[in-house]
Amino acid sequence: MPPMPLEGIRILDFTWVVAGPVATRLLGDHGAEVVKVERKHPPPLGNRKLGLQCDLHRDKLSVAINMQHPRGIDLARRLAAMSDVVMDNFSARVMRNWGMDYQSLSAVKPDIICISMSGLGHTGPKSSYVSYGPTLQALSGYTMLMTEPDGTPAGYGYSYADMCGGYTGALAALIALYHRERTGRGQFIDLAQFEAVTAVIGPALMDISVNGRTQSPPGYNSQEGPSAPHGVYKCKADGTDDDRWLAISVRTEAEWRRFVEAIGSPVWTGDPKFRTLYLRMQNHADLDAHVSQWTTSQRAEDAMMSLQKMKVAAGLVENGVDMCAHDPQFAARGFWPEVANSRGGSTNVTGIPFKLSSSSGRVRTIGPEVGENFDYVMGELLGIGKAERDALIAEGAVWP
Amino acid sequence: MNGGALAGLKVLDLTGHRVQLCARILADMGADVIKIEPPAGDDARRIGPFLDDLPHRNRSLFFWFYNLNKRSLTLDLNDPRGVELMRSLARSADVVIESFAPGAMDRIGIGWESLHRDNPALVLCSMALFGQTGPYRDFEADDTVLSALGGMLYINGFPGRQPVRPLGLQAYHSSAYFGAIAVMLALLARDRTGNGEWIDLSMHEATAAAVEHVAGGYFERKEAEPRRGTLHWSRFFRVGKCRDGYIMHCSLGDWTSLIEWVKADGKAQDLDVPEYNEVVYRFLKAEHLFDVLDEWVKDYSREDLLERAQLLRQPYASVRPPEALFEDEQLIERGFFAEVAHPELGRKFRYPGAPYAWSATPWRVYRRPPLLGEHTAEILRDNLGMDAAQIAALMAEEVI
Repeated sequence: MPPMPLEGIRILDFTWVVAGPVATRLLGDHGAEVVKVERKHPPPLGNRKLGLQCDLHRDKLSVAINMQHPRGIDLARRLAAMSDVVMDNFSARVMRNWGMDYQSLSAVKPDIICISMSGLGHTGPKSSYVSYGPTLQALSGYTMLMTEPDGTPAGYGYSYADMCGGYTGALAALIALYHRERTGRGQFIDLAQFEAVTAVIGPALMDISVNGRTQSPPGYNSQEGPSAPHGVYKCKADGTDDDRWLAISVRTEAEWRRFVEAIGSPVWTGDPKFRTLYLRMQNHADLDAHVSQWTTSQRAEDAMMSLQKMKVAAGLVENGVDMCAHDPQFAARGFWPEVANSRGGSTNVTGIPFKLSSSSGRVRTIGPEVGENFDYVMGELLGIGKAERDALIAEGAVWP
Repeated sequence: MNGGALAGLKVLDLTGHRVQLCARILADMGADVIKIEPPAGDDARRIGPFLDDLPHRNRSLFFWFYNLNKRSLTLDLNDPRGVELMRSLARSADVVIESFAPGAMDRIGIGWESLHRDNPALVLCSMALFGQTGPYRDFEADDTVLSALGGMLYINGFPGRQPVRPLGLQAYHSSAYFGAIAVMLALLARDRTGNGEWIDLSMHEATAAAVEHVAGGYFERKEAEPRRGTLHWSRFFRVGKCRDGYIMHCSLGDWTSLIEWVKADGKAQDLDVPEYNEVVYRFLKAEHLFDVLDEWVKDYSREDLLERAQLLRQPYASVRPPEALFEDEQLIERGFFAEVAHPELGRKFRYPGAPYAWSATPWRVYRRPPLLGEHTAEILRDNLGMDAAQIAALMAEEVI
């Protein structure tokens, strides 16, 4: 197996829930040794050997240390001194109280990189505001603009704030490591998940700040230049499943001609009110009604293929079963890798959406149980013998 | 050296309008990013919104957002002399980022093999819609179609109704984040091996990765994650409505203090039983629990409710429009919004800025987004040693 980019890098991981674990998981997938420090009974968020919790915890080690106990804190500080990066998602006071903030740790290990991924950041009047991904999404404006056409809030089906926070956290670690390679210097990065998700609202924020325009829910208007037809269209039921939809996007004149041909050149496509892109945009309600008439007579998969054959952008609105059991593209690229579990079986997980030609990351292990790597961390990393380990357990500083 | 973490890193950005956020992330940390545009300008320059709603290639706010901190060089890659200039620039670059259809780089004459032969340490990041391989590799898509095929649409909105689309080009943004992560991993690998890497990123997969709970749900339960309206998939959050607007409920905070408060208001109904102390029970009874809490909050004003909630460390938040971000005291105090001067217009604008604060190598505004071809001559002079006569000749022949 070729080496992975982060082999030899150790991450001490105090993060929990979603954003932090996504960040450290990305590092673990690429060869870093991620040591997750946690309490014996974290909130029961699910089985780490399967599904989402496995995705969040895979390629990591776990050790249960009691951070309420002075000797527990001492062990964690020793681990930090052996690590390249320390990551948490607490407000500022938590790591400071443990003597594990950047200032304290850099006194012990001058080139340490500390990344704190709190909700709203370590500074500012709301730095102690309590939040989760979905509440940060609400504050950013995403939730408000996810509405049905009549304005009813429709919610968000995914935790985008957590993902943006996670990706930004991984990037921070990688950029800081790159900088350390060149200068020998570590640093502290104060990452606010709120800012990470706000940053990707993108051009709409510019429209507010520059043009002063109030943003409306985007609906299915194209957000990347004029396009019509553009949207998701109901398709024929698949057996009892009446929830089948096809996304279609037609931009240029050439695409429109190919679209017309692909759907069999029905008479309505010759209507002068659909003659130009501008007119198709102006009359999109009529246009959408005609397009829906076609799609409802088609299986979504077949309609997608007919359009793609003519090089028209179209895609099935895939649900979890479509994605994981049927999509031939994900399957061909091995996007759901199989990982062995401890009982001789295996499970599949979400893969890494990019490959490097010679140093690709690999999903190697499923999520550890809490404290599963106690022996390795206490013995091999910290060099603590059996008798002292037993004493630490008896004192309640660690949990085996 | 500019003091950024990526100072000295030379990046050539060939991406079109889809994933240009990738190189911007690197530019914000100090990399020297040259955006290479066709002589008529990148397609992003034709996408709105536009400054004062006047469409013009130097007034696209869409372009501005994604190209802050980059320089612009125009190059006709349909002309062999343009291709030769591109190859010359790539000889001394660290990273080339592109988002052409698979095979296009080879046809132009700047595919991986030729770039790698010229400069073995070069990292080439190829970001195709569906990656470089697989049955969909030549399919067409835009952000909406990618969101459909990547599972990002199906889960938003109400069961039995049309799936709802999020604000912003989030399939592209997720791809751009993964692209930047992949580039940094390849650079760290290069530090050890001396060799560059070819990155094969699939936007389709990057989209699916941002909704990894969907695949997690499938691999755990063999079920498709449904649309749940405003109930978050974790079942711990739901949109509620106060007297004067929407809020986000959360049942993951300290339950005892929340229920004491609701009880004191006489609105606890049947939630005041010990079973609800268990996270798992709140998960199972989520719909009923939030129905009761909806009844409770409906006579509150948002301000009263949220102020009290945060005092009790309940992770509640306002569901508010993105316009509110510009008055958010936390973002303002942390300097999230960056003032960028556009001297040619005699104006300054507020841009969304850093998602993280770095202690040693700050995120910075180095330069406003470039005018079309603004830096062509200086780059050809400084990077390739060309003199004014040579540059003028290329310009006359419209190669640049």
